[in-house]
Amino acid sequence: MSLRVPYRKYPTKSGGFYYAAVLPVNIALPQKNSPRSKRFEAIIDSGATLCQFQASIGRAIGLNIEQGEPIETMGVAGPTKMFMHDISLYLPGGIVTVRAGFSDLLPTPGLLGMSGFFEHFKITFDPSAARCELERIFEA
Amino acid sequence: MPTQEDIRLELLRSAPLDMWIALSEDETKIVASGSTYEEVVKNSENAGVSDPLLIKTPKVWMPISV
Repeated sequence: MSLRVPYRKYPTKSGGFYYAAVLPVNIALPQKNSPRSKRFEAIIDSGATLCQFQASIGRAIGLNIEQGEPIETMGVAGPTKMFMHDISLYLPGGIVTVRAGFSDLLPTPGLLGMSGFFEHFKITFDPSAARCELERIFEA
Repeated sequence: MPTQEDIRLELLRSAPLDMWIALSEDETKIVASGSTYEEVVKNSENAGVSDPLLIKTPKVWMPISV
């Protein structure tokens, strides 16, 4: 299963734009039939070790964020504290259970990182076509 | 004629800053906004849009480095 995802354009304050590779996703508690979040844009980010989401989305699906396992991650602006929870992540090709970090300080709704996202896809970033191609890896 | 992507870009440029916004299913309209995730979900449901796409706008639009 392969999916072409066009890069999306976002404004800059000078009137220009920049591209980002993003994917609309939903999350839910890992229990079967748990209600999903609304779709939100998450950045495909190979620089992120973990999948990370805004804490407010986690609270909305029923997580008690501060009761998760506390961890610190190192970003370009320094260390950030977040709380780890198991969730279901709705991705092209099906749902995966992911241990993801939640933080109120994340400046974007979500980051799709190495653990929980990149391990499920072969990904080609194609700047000439301004898109990336995701090929789902299914374990035998 | 502007592309769908350029229409969306201008939509984002016109969106309120430092807010959650909900785009229509076809991403051609902002159907709701709110200062929190919960508020934008409630407002998009009140607007009759069941499957919006949610985006968090920044205080200032600039490239993201997390």
